[in-house]
Amino acid sequence: MRYPFKLAVVVGMLFWMVSGVSLAADYPTKPITLINPMPPGGTLDLQARSWASIAEKHLGQPVVVVNKPGATGMVGAVAGAQAAPDGYTLTVASVNFTNAVEWEIANGRKPPFTYDDFVYLGSFTMSPTLVIVPFDSPFKTLQEFMAAAKAKPGQLSYCSGGLYGMSHLPIEIFAKATGLKFRHVPYSGGGPCLSAVVGKHVDSAFQYPPTTIPLAQGNKLRILAVAGARRLKSLPGIPCFKELGIDAEYYGWVGIAAPKNTPKNIVEKLREVTKKVAEDKTFIEAIEKPGDEVYYLHGDDVLKHIQKEAKVIAEIDRELAKTATK
Amino acid sequence: MEVLNNLYNGFQVALTFKNVYLCFIGCLWGTIVGVLPGIGPLAGIALLIPATFGMDVTGAIIMLAGIYYGAMYGGSTTSILMNIPGESASVVTCIDGFQMTRKGRGGAALFIAAWGSWIGGTLGIVGLMLLAPTLANFAMKFGPPEMFAVLLVAFVLLGSLGKGSFFKTLPMILLGLLVGTVGMDPLTGAMRFTHGIRELFDGIGFIPVAMGAFGIGEILVSTEESLVREVFKVRFRELLPTREELRASWGPIFRGTGIGFIVGLLPGSAHVLASFLSYTMEKRLAKKPEEFGSGRIEGVAGPETANNAASESAMIPFLALGIPTGPAPAVMMIALLIHGVRPGPLFITEQPQIFWGLIASMYIGNVILVILNLPLVGLFVNLLRVPFRILFPIILLICLVGTYSVNASTFELSILLGFGVFGYVFRKLEFDIAPFILAMIIGPTLEMAFRQSLMRSAGSFSIFWESPITMTLIVLSGALVLWNIYRAIRPKAAWEKALEEGE
Repeated sequence: MRYPFKLAVVVGMLFWMVSGVSLAADYPTKPITLINPMPPGGTLDLQARSWASIAEKHLGQPVVVVNKPGATGMVGAVAGAQAAPDGYTLTVASVNFTNAVEWEIANGRKPPFTYDDFVYLGSFTMSPTLVIVPFDSPFKTLQEFMAAAKAKPGQLSYCSGGLYGMSHLPIEIFAKATGLKFRHVPYSGGGPCLSAVVGKHVDSAFQYPPTTIPLAQGNKLRILAVAGARRLKSLPGIPCFKELGIDAEYYGWVGIAAPKNTPKNIVEKLREVTKKVAEDKTFIEAIEKPGDEVYYLHGDDVLKHIQKEAKVIAEIDRELAKTATK
Repeated sequence: MEVLNNLYNGFQVALTFKNVYLCFIGCLWGTIVGVLPGIGPLAGIALLIPATFGMDVTGAIIMLAGIYYGAMYGGSTTSILMNIPGESASVVTCIDGFQMTRKGRGGAALFIAAWGSWIGGTLGIVGLMLLAPTLANFAMKFGPPEMFAVLLVAFVLLGSLGKGSFFKTLPMILLGLLVGTVGMDPLTGAMRFTHGIRELFDGIGFIPVAMGAFGIGEILVSTEESLVREVFKVRFRELLPTREELRASWGPIFRGTGIGFIVGLLPGSAHVLASFLSYTMEKRLAKKPEEFGSGRIEGVAGPETANNAASESAMIPFLALGIPTGPAPAVMMIALLIHGVRPGPLFITEQPQIFWGLIASMYIGNVILVILNLPLVGLFVNLLRVPFRILFPIILLICLVGTYSVNASTFELSILLGFGVFGYVFRKLEFDIAPFILAMIIGPTLEMAFRQSLMRSAGSFSIFWESPITMTLIVLSGALVLWNIYRAIRPKAAWEKALEEGE
């Protein structure tokens, strides 16, 4: 026996594969781990935890959320992609996947994972950003804001919660679609960026509904438009980009993914559960109370959405990467 | 008298059996996460959010806030007894706190820390209660240039931290800045010193570095000294501070409250800055600053008070406007959102029972914490009687588990151990670790504020003298530098010479 260890590993793998097949029939028989590549306590984390707590009921097994943050979500995504494809390790997929992968490619690095490393089980939110300005800003409508930006290219400033992140890309997409130029001031997180708008340190920002709407109600800032294709239920009076004839869409979506090669019947079962959770009253309440909306997409549509947004983001990132290295 | 009326209603909410119980649980859990190195208030709150799903909002926020300010009480314990900062705000407490333990005054240091925390915390709530909306609007005016000016003062003060000479402090500051630079540049996305290692893209975490350089380093130094380390025997009478120690603490406690409360309003790592500024201020005001670093009670009383006052005022922008300026308030805000309450400018008027219930519960919580912590002083000091050969592996284990628990990352464990060796080597060379850690925290924020200011002004430096706050602080930091130079080169008075020769 020259390779006793290797042989043992191969035999072990065979046994494990066989047992995996038999397990697939009555999946799940043990607790499921849900890797969240984002730090604990964020909106995404809480949506994932709400999903987990409802999915448990439908799966009959506990779903344990484990945060594995780092490198804008890449560390956790890699861990999720490389996990055993047995349905017992799932990953919270989100628009951060696309942000991270496209940014790596734009900078000439090989992304540590690709979209095809996962099979998508479904997504449950699709939030647009809101265009906000300080409350006593001279701009009352998006048109006025755009006219001012056109008159003074590169003079109006905006802030984001972080470079190439969920509140930076939507503005760049908007700027590209309208041919306008703005000055970007990155902050570390959504909170500091909001305080910069309220304190009039910047002229505008694109931020997400839950934290933004109360500030508008309290007369600390003004919402000019919804940066998406439809109006929000909670803001019936605010126009959306599509109505205004602007073709710039970017959504903060959250969903669930499993490693590729996960057995078909397990994927089907999990897709069914994801759909059931999205229709669950308690879950809808957990998402809508803070001001978000549940928007369900089937697993296959999630991949289509990723491919669509990846194209847009790739183009933006290429230009940003060029200016960054200058 | 509207305030008293509101507060009365608040106490009616907070004094129900259930809410007092939740407040107690929050404070207890807060003390535990504060004592345990690694797990800080942030992880402590995030872990317990799911447990609040079945509760009503007021109860939930009372408990979560209890964790937050409770952690500031517990943080000093391991700093004082074992030279391991329990959380980031207690780094400076290590300097004098641990020296007090070596002199057998650890009990007194813990006692004063708890006492100061109580005063700082309670006065902080009074400020929060009376001035929240005004101060929140003031905090919003604080933009990048103002932030830069404050950090500049802090940075100049860094040079006078530590007991060694300036030339022993400077290299540690530079090393701290270097370590703080690692990671993705937040303003351009350029990678600095990451060498393609993905775990380094977010920078080197503060927790593994601080626990390694302080905790593991301390263990290594101690094992070298002797495995049968002298046990710091403490009798009960010695747990209590002496009259002189109490008297010396009053000033630092009240000044610490003031500094902490103001600094807490600033965005970012306000606790660290608050305790650090309080420490350097006490050192400057002291008659014999050279005694700092060898176990002065002022070096414990000031910072430990300041971080508690800061934790109360850091909640102001979050409660009065719905804008969390630090990570822990951000998590609390999300907890409120989950319960369907959206904090915003209208929160206090629309949800008075939650706001005033929380305020009242914070008064109660601070009393609970001081009652909880004072008897624990005796218990913790007794830990030092455990033979070192048993204590040492336990501390090591706590450091490892504490680090791993935060991000579930084995990479951070190697950072912990690597900086443990670093801490050991530099301690042997008689360098101070605290300036290194603080430079690592202040450096990146200072750089970010500076560059954000210039991005806002499109590169014009005039932004730094447009606001009176900024200008005053920049002039102040210039004056501090000049004063330091003058002190170094002026002719020494006769008594100072005599003192130096006497040593």
